[in-house]
Amino acid sequence: MAVTLPEPPAGLCFHCLQPLPNHGGYSVQLQQRDYAVCCYGCQAVAQTIAEQGLLHFYQFRDTRNPLNVPLVPEELQRFDAYDDERLQQQFTRDDANTGVRETALSVEGMTCSACAWLIEKHLAPLPGISKVTVNASSERVTIAWQPQHTKLSAILKHIAELGYRALPFQSASQEHDFKKRRRYFVTRLGVAGLATMQVMMIAVGLYFGMVSDLDDSLRQFLWWMSLLLATPVLLFSAQPFYLSALRSIQAQRPNMDVPVSLALLSTYIASTYATITDQGEIYFESVCMFTFFLLLGRYLELLARQRAVSAAANLIKLLPAVAQRKNGDDQLEYVAVADLQADDLVVVAAGATIPVDGILAQPSAAVSEALMTGESRAIEKRVGDTVLAGSVNQQQILHLQVTATQQNTVLASIVALQDLALSRKPKWVENAESLAQTFVKQVLVMALVTFLIWTWIAPSEAFWVTIAVLVATCPCALALAAPTAVTGAIHNLNKQGVIVRNADVLTRMSAIKTVFVDKTGTLTDGQFSLLQHYQHSSNSASEHTLDTLLALTQALERYSQHPLALPLQHLSQTQLDVEAVQVQPSYGVAGQWQQQSLRLGSLAWVRQWHPDFKPQLASANVFLASSTAVLLELQVGDQLRDGAADTVAALQRLGLNVVMLTGDRAELAAPIAAQLGITEVHAHCLPADKLALLAQRQQQHPVMMIGDGMNDGPVLAQADISVSFAQASDLARSAADAVLLRNQFSALLPFYQTALRSQRIMRQNVRWALVYNIAILPIAMLGLITPYFAALGMSASSLLVLLNSLRLYR
Amino acid sequence: MNVDAFAALLMGLAGAGHCLMMCGGLAGALGQHATWRQLLLYNCGRITSYAAAGALLGAAFTTLANASIDGLIYLRLLAALLLVLLGLYYGGWWLGLRHLEAIGKPFWRLLQPLALRSRNGRGYSSVILAGMVWGWLPCGLVYSALSWAALSGSASSGAWYMMLFGLGTLPAMMAFGWLSKTLQSFLRSQGFRQLMGLLLIAYGLWTAVIALRQLLAS
Repeated sequence: MAVTLPEPPAGLCFHCLQPLPNHGGYSVQLQQRDYAVCCYGCQAVAQTIAEQGLLHFYQFRDTRNPLNVPLVPEELQRFDAYDDERLQQQFTRDDANTGVRETALSVEGMTCSACAWLIEKHLAPLPGISKVTVNASSERVTIAWQPQHTKLSAILKHIAELGYRALPFQSASQEHDFKKRRRYFVTRLGVAGLATMQVMMIAVGLYFGMVSDLDDSLRQFLWWMSLLLATPVLLFSAQPFYLSALRSIQAQRPNMDVPVSLALLSTYIASTYATITDQGEIYFESVCMFTFFLLLGRYLELLARQRAVSAAANLIKLLPAVAQRKNGDDQLEYVAVADLQADDLVVVAAGATIPVDGILAQPSAAVSEALMTGESRAIEKRVGDTVLAGSVNQQQILHLQVTATQQNTVLASIVALQDLALSRKPKWVENAESLAQTFVKQVLVMALVTFLIWTWIAPSEAFWVTIAVLVATCPCALALAAPTAVTGAIHNLNKQGVIVRNADVLTRMSAIKTVFVDKTGTLTDGQFSLLQHYQHSSNSASEHTLDTLLALTQALERYSQHPLALPLQHLSQTQLDVEAVQVQPSYGVAGQWQQQSLRLGSLAWVRQWHPDFKPQLASANVFLASSTAVLLELQVGDQLRDGAADTVAALQRLGLNVVMLTGDRAELAAPIAAQLGITEVHAHCLPADKLALLAQRQQQHPVMMIGDGMNDGPVLAQADISVSFAQASDLARSAADAVLLRNQFSALLPFYQTALRSQRIMRQNVRWALVYNIAILPIAMLGLITPYFAALGMSASSLLVLLNSLRLYR
Repeated sequence: MNVDAFAALLMGLAGAGHCLMMCGGLAGALGQHATWRQLLLYNCGRITSYAAAGALLGAAFTTLANASIDGLIYLRLLAALLLVLLGLYYGGWWLGLRHLEAIGKPFWRLLQPLALRSRNGRGYSSVILAGMVWGWLPCGLVYSALSWAALSGSASSGAWYMMLFGLGTLPAMMAFGWLSKTLQSFLRSQGFRQLMGLLLIAYGLWTAVIALRQLLAS
């Protein structure tokens, strides 16, 4: 039988696909060709296969990594359906510049971070994949890939090969999944709770019974009862632990559920053995209690995570799925939002939620962007302004021209950002996790050592002492310590309108000593307006009223394009006509009114007429003068943001050095700095100067920079923590670590405090978990605690950590 | 069931990953043509060979056990060592056990013609024969199990141990086609094999500690 044999994988045994030994292994001749095999066993098997005419085995077998398992054909076909472009549009986002497509997949069957690791490692080598982030808490995988290199179905297949079911994420079904997951735990928790109560009662009875010489047949009956009650706990309630343990073993990153499962199973088996043979000891109550408390911890963690995740995802769910479109002959028709094209004209009723991003196609409208920013005040929009999906139309019927729908809306990008923050692990969490992992391995080794030593000393004790070691030292608290705190902090910040793009900032915050603040657009709101004015009461014959002067100013400024002119164009109801207006660039405007020559503009401009003039207002920057006298001084500037002064003061009280950076002149910066109590001011800075200043300070200690995300990009990027303000619509463009969505400078304070608090809680958790685990190890190894107390101690320590983290949710 | 018998069963069960790698696909290839009954008979043949080998070794070493108690304990230490080696082999940490397979090679040469002869038969007897031949393939796993049979003290218990071992390997070999793909990928994963390796090492060390304790006590 002639069969074409597949090429043997390089460096692997042709038969068993294990690595070849260093000396090159042995060889086997199949069909007149030599193939390398690793051992005599494989050599013999391969020869036998050839002799028995079964060579087609090599032809059809799966030569890839043993992690890969072929799927059954129906499932393959189902995935192919997702390659349809029209379908993909509904759940993917395209980046027009790079051609990268992004989507979120929800993955069933993920139990722990080992699963996340497994999926990340498995997908990364696929061609065209540019990013894989797995969020174990929301059971979601975000993938960015190039559609021309890899099809979506191929990605789905790859995930399925690992034994997970991945489907495009739809938020509508998420709620359902969450409920399912909660029920999964609640039923198991219920069974474990009921059984635990019963078994504990029996255990107490047995304990006291032994003292008062319990009837032997009654004792035997109680043992059997305990066995009966503990069985559903072991087989049903404890399932999540076995699954998670198996996954983590498969990923070669044994997690805490490995010792847990080992302890549960062996305690149960040994106790059952004792019950059947009617000798020894039983610890069914430990099995039940351990399961119950561990489940309780997992359930609480699940609730906390779900709360954090659904808060973000709920946003999208609020978007209507159907929109009213105005078609060619001005008729309204209902269409699915998914079918809307860019430039379609959509009509939104008053009080309704706007289903798409679009450009306002009517003179004005009022919408509330509370969903995105938490700011409930209605926002005025003018024709041509961007209106965002998810905002609520406050007044009359609204027309808009579609620019983006569904996954491409700003709202979707906000949700994606929040998701990303939850899925990116700060280094601290990673450290704690790898610590927990090392601990697991050590626990297993220590348990073995304990067992061997106790076998030598007292074989009858060895088993239960080992179980106590396994249970008591299980690093559950350590594994929970950091992730729960981070999830809590991010959730808390999101609620306050602070979007954290990079959870690492939470852990970096405590090192920050200096806060650099940009002036314009950060401390001030960036909107120029007339702040103060001063009228010179001259002795000249033509005394003008203030209104006349303002009207003159307004009339002259209407000819100017200067940024400072803009807020001066609407000062008075009185309309005056000026003649012979001339604009003198970088000086000002000149004109004639009632045969009088007037000049409006900079100090230099009026000093050409009045060389000795000294302004009364130090910060005045616009002057109106006639040829005989200076008439009016004006200060145009931008207003301080609400709460800026209080926030700066509070930050200073917390020991932070607040430094102002600005491109403005020192005369303009100084009064604002004084008003805010900022002592260190660097005015007249070009972006490069800002960068240099910041880098120089960074040599001493980490710094935080708060700026307007658009203009301060490089400076923000240089800072250890960057914060920017963003209108929701600009969010996608800003690259800061954290974004203050509500446009309030004061949000900086809760951000700083929450970050510090989360780190404090994380530290407390990790410290506590370490102290407990290290202290309990020798005690357990000495055989001083029973499995019963071991289970209590471990459960208490992880519940403590969990409750500590839950404080962050408040 | 005493601890030694349990060790034999455990070895078989723990070997699932190894068995799937070495022979699992083959059972599958055979299974394409074979009914489940043929598959069962084939595996029965294989286990029969194991049991026969166990009986042989058990009988051979009985004399040693009778000669001195210490002899049996030394044998137990050897078995423990083999178990540890097997654990190292499973986990992929040290593959020295491969060399052991060389022992069986000349023996296998003798049997190979038989395998050739059994290949054309489709009847039940030839399927059993093929399975029996299969049982003598050089395999480090089998040799480690045989070391436990050797110290069993009698031919019958040697056969019993090896049968238990064979039963332990049955799920992996027999149910290859039935096991879910996910379970298969789990059994074949490096992580599972390492865990099983650890378990065998632990068991081996434990046996060694007990044996040493007896040695010092006697």
